[in-house]
Amino acid sequence: MIPVSFDYTRADSADAALAALAEHGDEAKLLAGGHSLLPMMKLRLAYPSVLVDIGRLDDLSYVRDSGDHLAIGALTKHRAIEIDPLVAEHAPLLATATANVGDPQVRHRGTIGGSIAHADAAADHPSALLALGGSVVVRSATGERVIDAGDLFTGFLESALEPTEMITEIRIPKHTGAGWSFQKFNRRAQDWSIVGVSAQRVNGHAQVALVNMHPTPVRATAVEEALAGGASAADAAALAAEGMEPSSDLNASVEYRQHLARVLVGRALTEAGIA
Amino acid sequence: MSLGRPELRVDAVAKVTGAARYPGDRVPPDALVARVVFSDQPHARLRSLDTSAAEATDGVVFVLTSADVPVNEYGLTMFDQPVLVGPDHTGNTAVDAAVSRWEADAIAVVVAESEAAATAGASALVAEWEQLPLVLDIDAALADDAPLVHPEMGDSNAYYSYVIRKGDVVAGWDEADVIVEGTYEFPYQEHAYLQPEAAVAYVDDEGRVTVEIGGQWTHEDQEQIAHALALDVEEVRVIYPAIGGAFGGREDMTLQIVLALAAQRSWQLGLERPVVSVWSREESIVGHHKRHRGRVHTRWGATTDGRLVVVEADGYLDAGSYNYTTNKVLGNLHMCVAGPYRWDHARIDSTGVYTTTVPGGAFRGFGAPQGAFVAESQMNKLAEALDIDPVELRRMNGIVDGDEGLTGTEYPPGVSLQPVIEACAEAAGWADGPPDVAAVPSFATLPSRTDSVYTGRGFACAMKNVGFSFGFPERSNARIVLHGDAESDEPTSAELFLAGAEVGQGAHTAFTQMAAEATGLPVSAITPTWSDTATSGDSGSASASRLSWMTGNAILGAAEEADKAWRNGDRPAVGAFRFTPPPTDPLDPEGGPATPNFAYGYVAQAVTLSVDVDTGHIVVHDVVNCSDVGRVINPALLDGQVHGAVVQAHGYALSERLVLDDTGRIANPRFSGYLIPGIGDVPERIRSVVLEIPDPRGPFGVRGMAEMPMIPYAPAVAAALHDATGVWFERFPLTPPIVRATLREAGLGR
Repeated sequence: MIPVSFDYTRADSADAALAALAEHGDEAKLLAGGHSLLPMMKLRLAYPSVLVDIGRLDDLSYVRDSGDHLAIGALTKHRAIEIDPLVAEHAPLLATATANVGDPQVRHRGTIGGSIAHADAAADHPSALLALGGSVVVRSATGERVIDAGDLFTGFLESALEPTEMITEIRIPKHTGAGWSFQKFNRRAQDWSIVGVSAQRVNGHAQVALVNMHPTPVRATAVEEALAGGASAADAAALAAEGMEPSSDLNASVEYRQHLARVLVGRALTEAGIA
Repeated sequence: MSLGRPELRVDAVAKVTGAARYPGDRVPPDALVARVVFSDQPHARLRSLDTSAAEATDGVVFVLTSADVPVNEYGLTMFDQPVLVGPDHTGNTAVDAAVSRWEADAIAVVVAESEAAATAGASALVAEWEQLPLVLDIDAALADDAPLVHPEMGDSNAYYSYVIRKGDVVAGWDEADVIVEGTYEFPYQEHAYLQPEAAVAYVDDEGRVTVEIGGQWTHEDQEQIAHALALDVEEVRVIYPAIGGAFGGREDMTLQIVLALAAQRSWQLGLERPVVSVWSREESIVGHHKRHRGRVHTRWGATTDGRLVVVEADGYLDAGSYNYTTNKVLGNLHMCVAGPYRWDHARIDSTGVYTTTVPGGAFRGFGAPQGAFVAESQMNKLAEALDIDPVELRRMNGIVDGDEGLTGTEYPPGVSLQPVIEACAEAAGWADGPPDVAAVPSFATLPSRTDSVYTGRGFACAMKNVGFSFGFPERSNARIVLHGDAESDEPTSAELFLAGAEVGQGAHTAFTQMAAEATGLPVSAITPTWSDTATSGDSGSASASRLSWMTGNAILGAAEEADKAWRNGDRPAVGAFRFTPPPTDPLDPEGGPATPNFAYGYVAQAVTLSVDVDTGHIVVHDVVNCSDVGRVINPALLDGQVHGAVVQAHGYALSERLVLDDTGRIANPRFSGYLIPGIGDVPERIRSVVLEIPDPRGPFGVRGMAEMPMIPYAPAVAAALHDATGVWFERFPLTPPIVRATLREAGLGR
């Protein structure tokens, strides 16, 4: 399929990009690596009339140690995160989830900000952000605010971002030395997840998030609550599909996705060291 | 001298640098763009087609409909398909040309100044359809009150059949100690070549209607075009530029006839502008045939000491809406369904059935992969039932030179099944027991713990005909022109004229090497002219693993003729030769004696895999493929053929699932839903073992090999899956949801 026609403008700074967003409102979309937006445009799930290219804002590409958390620039490419020593030490779950995105070509073009901004339940990064308890910094022409991951994903391909806002930074609390797991089941090695699981141990309890099990990226609340209430990992994993509304398609039925969620959450809890 | 060396492909530099021109690249600046309009009607009668709004659309130059086709029918082996479906036609056709029998029957060709204008014109067509009842699968087609898809072909949708009758099956069942049986189902497969259909057509300087396209048989395309346009074949020219894969999917007509018609009209109107058309991937998947789906029920009987005694089988292929090559594919299934084994008693009935779904047709292996899935699964079940090693059971029953086949005549000389089985088992270390594979595969989706991962290995072998079967007048032409000084004793260079299609398999490189070997010249001294009906005689199709075998024999003959002319003093010295192999017979309608083929290829495979029983996911660790190729022409190209075929078979066995919706339309005509393997999904290791036992009839001893590694893979995987889990799988593809559900029914996994 071919996208509808659109205008293109390249921003030389974040301020210029935000000014363009302020001017065009919801007619405009930011283009970074293009690996979420362009497929959506081809499927006509998105049809912006203006694309604002922020792909060359190199000052938004970084990984920094900010004390109790890591600060990651929104335009940092997947490959840079995958091999970053700070990420490997303090958020290995994020490094592994990133290493499983697409293929090397995708990881050299796609950005973490783009992956999160589209709020795609089938993407791997939102689940990692949820399990790690992260947040995003968003800016508009008029100000800046921080949104917790838990408040970010509001509907099918919908986030709490206003049309005039852009993500500038992702903040990941340090989870140095704590147990974690990332599980991904796909039909082909470099495809989107059929179902995925991010699990992070935090102070003796677990934060678990699911990929592609609900219209939005989502925490496995039933699993987390069961664990908090003293359930075994196996009993908690059996609740992985509770409250979820997964889609059905030619590659996997609802029933198969529910089954995979239970199996993969069980494996994730085991690997994260949760009994 | 020139054989057996990894010569650089003759097209390598052009293809790597992008200089090679595929049909979609050859768009002349003044070209008109044609859109072929599919009916989107699985079964309906076109009552009327109003083209006035389309013709009035900005940029539309003209619109062709059924009334514009002089002879509105085509088909490779039967003229059962209209070129354009419509109520108005010339009457020179047996098939009812007003009926659309699948979603991709064409109703019009809109020719315009641009792609956008052609598309706008196409959407302005107004068609009035009368719906006809759907016939969605084999069972529906065979039902007593089934609507007929082709009433002109008789009073049943079961329109083609073969029988084998050998010995006395009643006596056979009395003799048999052990019986195994199964009902096997095999799926569609999409060719998924890199280059979707594309063509450019024009009238050349000599007035010939000319089509440049990717096909498999220039001269057959020429004949089909000439038939439909009511021209002499000399008035039609077909040229193949670079071709991006074929695998059987380009054997039948797609754009050939309709673009020839459009070009002819462009010249008739005095426009004299070429016409191009390039299909999208979706048009390609919807618009060309598939490997046949079908079903075989079979029972085998053997003695306790492992001797095969009796086979009965009833097989069906879903031909879809038109025959294409179904009658020939069915013949191959028929000949393969009892495997490459000796039998005393056999009853085999094979039937082709029309439905209102996508046609089945040629695809690498041409019925043999389906037959091998049945035969090799039966053989592996029998080995288990008899507690005999599956390789040993094949040694005991596999055919050897001098054996009589199922049709009552001896196999062609040079049967090498036994050494192929032997070498495969040896390379796979079969006698040493289960292989030691890494317990945790590298693939991300398999768990890091091992209690749900089971490992197993499987074996299968196969034979398949090389060249055309069943009495077809098989032939191949070659022309060689030797050049050199009048005084010189030996030529210094040669021209080679051949039509055989380079579809990516390396045929032109192999031809060049064989021509060098035959003339005694170096490869660099051969100047070829390829794949143009205006310059070459008929080489036949790039199919049936036949090109090297047939064309090599033609090259040998042409070189000998040219050498004679050279010795006579001709400068240049021309040798033209038409090679014909030993004749074959159509199968006897009562199952009496017949020799259906003049040569066979032989192959065996051993597969090791792991399966995660909790998810159904399979990883193939190791594949050993042993092919007897007779004589290696180019070892690098040979390896490429083996690896390519195994990967294609891997997709067929494990992931490729073409889905029809409840109207018979293809529901997943794109690669996001039809899953061909990527580099992370293919077997972790493929080992190619090559034997060179000369085919007594092959050129330089060469045997056909291109299809063979495609054939035994699915049953070898099914056997390995059984070895791992104890569960037999009688259908595929073995996708994770299907594997998990089947294992769950058997009480394995979660």
